Amino acid sequence: MSIRRHPFAASLSLLILIFLWLPLVVVAVNSLNSETLMASWGGFTTRWFRMAWSDENVRSGLKTTLLIAGASSLLSLVVAVSGALWWRHASPKARAVYDGLIYARIILPEVVFATAIFFLFIKIHFGLGLTAMIIGHTVWNSAYAAIIVQARMAGLDPALEEAAADLGATPWRTFRRVTLSALMPAIIAAGLLAFTFSFDDVVTSLFLQGTAQSPLPVVILGMIRFRITPEINAIGLLVMLFTVAIMSFAVISYATAGALGRSSRRGGGGSMLDMYR
Amino acid sequence: MSDAAVDIRAVEKRFGDLVAVRHLDLRIQAGEFFSIIGPSGCGKTTTLRMIAGFEDPTSGTILVGGSEMTGVRPYRRPVNTVFQSYALFPHLDVFENIAFGLREARVGKADVRARVAEAVSLVQLEGRENARPRQLSGGQQQRVALARALVNRPEVLLLDEPLGALDLKLRTDMQSQLKDLQRTVGVTFCYVTHDQGEAFSMSDRIAVMNLGLLEQLGTPEEIYHRPASQFVADFVGTANQFQGTIESGADGVYSVAIDGVGTRGVPGPAGLASGSKVSVVVRPENLAIAEQPANGGNGLAATVVDTAFLGAERTVRLNSAMLGDLTSSARGAGPAPEPGTAVQVTWAEHHAWLVPA
Repeated sequence: MSIRRHPFAASLSLLILIFLWLPLVVVAVNSLNSETLMASWGGFTTRWFRMAWSDENVRSGLKTTLLIAGASSLLSLVVAVSGALWWRHASPKARAVYDGLIYARIILPEVVFATAIFFLFIKIHFGLGLTAMIIGHTVWNSAYAAIIVQARMAGLDPALEEAAADLGATPWRTFRRVTLSALMPAIIAAGLLAFTFSFDDVVTSLFLQGTAQSPLPVVILGMIRFRITPEINAIGLLVMLFTVAIMSFAVISYATAGALGRSSRRGGGGSMLDMYR
Repeated sequence: MSDAAVDIRAVEKRFGDLVAVRHLDLRIQAGEFFSIIGPSGCGKTTTLRMIAGFEDPTSGTILVGGSEMTGVRPYRRPVNTVFQSYALFPHLDVFENIAFGLREARVGKADVRARVAEAVSLVQLEGRENARPRQLSGGQQQRVALARALVNRPEVLLLDEPLGALDLKLRTDMQSQLKDLQRTVGVTFCYVTHDQGEAFSMSDRIAVMNLGLLEQLGTPEEIYHRPASQFVADFVGTANQFQGTIESGADGVYSVAIDGVGTRGVPGPAGLASGSKVSVVVRPENLAIAEQPANGGNGLAATVVDTAFLGAERTVRLNSAMLGDLTSSARGAGPAPEPGTAVQVTWAEHHAWLVPA
């Protein structure tokens, strides 16, 4: 009997899965539970959702979060795409350094970066707040975006751009009509990934928010420190659903384009490109 | 002087220490099907890329249609390229791929439609206008690449091993189609390939390159029957080569002392000095085998090593004590000589050709 099939391994896996998923299930169930103390099922209600939606603190938190996530994922894409364009023509040494910097941003603990940026901003008298949070999120978000965009760039046939130039397209037109189009599936996937990462970030925001409005995850953290209400469950479920939806879209769109890209190795490409035309 | 479609003057191209093209002078006439052949690394693709503008010559100038191209970016040059990988835009359909150059040139909508339709029918792709490149077969992709280039009415069409990715049958079909197409449109074709058979079947003139140097420029017949060097003789088809020394000569026929054979009259290029080392080239189809040892004549003793039946012809490998390994080929029936048979080989004087050794 192999270890994988041993009853002990199976039951341990099951326990771990329950341990991981049960809290989420409890949150989901309680968000619809009319019993305020959440100790027992008191009947179905949508009251907590209405309460969360009308909570001014939650609403401005969500607004801030969407703003930060939107701005930092756009900035991350600019960093990732321009980096990938440079990367293609860079020397192997320069590439290694650039790749190393990307991986460092992913591997190093977020709290280290947050602290470092915090001290840096204090030192240069850069005010903490919304802009600081956007920059902070971009620092590590752009690393993930860069990896995704670069992977696609590496599979791009350089002859495609030569063909565009050969057919009379200026460098800018070539970039727009060919390079950017070919990278579009990766750009969309990277943007969505960066958006969700930024959406649920607490650490960086906590360090850099200063006196500005807190983003939603920080608001939630504040709420449970104060008192646990079923309202939090409603917010939790919505955030969960939102994140899962975005991630599924990102994964599906990239996988589809990736599969098509493989089937025509000559230049990548795929269905996601269609929407760019 | 500059009525040539492409005029390459004293062009050299270096990549760091590597010299890709050495002092190349080449003129491609307007309307001809011109091929550049040579082994990989000979500089043929670099030459093509310099005409297209993807590489700049280290020194020398290139003229296209009489205008100097130095400093002119690829998108401003009156040439179009068919790439080895086709480089079709995967996110555009066949119509938009072909229309790409016209749209960049800001051709009017109605004109675009008319010219793309014309190009589509030229390469027989009617009905596939809305297909994506990945939905097409290799041969169809190849024809889209051709149409996409030709629709812009370039002064010169540059083709970089465009048939390399196709299977043999399709390649042969495409060769005759390409030749027909070139006659129909009358555009100057500059075709780069490592496959000499391909170049021979289509070209008006061929340039043979090796190690960055132009070895020979001429019609396929000239290059095959009167190669300029040992390299050309070997690269183009199969060649039996015998080493020798010129004893005397005039009017293009020299008296050559062939090592281990004796003195023979051999035609060759003008200007070879007496006493110079040469190589006598005899093509396999010109090397005849006589089963019975002939008396006198120029028969040389050889032994049959093996034979290969190739359909239209039969190739016989021979070994001669004096001349080493030989190849003879002949059309027609008749029993194949058994390996080990002693035979005589001969060639007619006018079927041999001298190249400098």
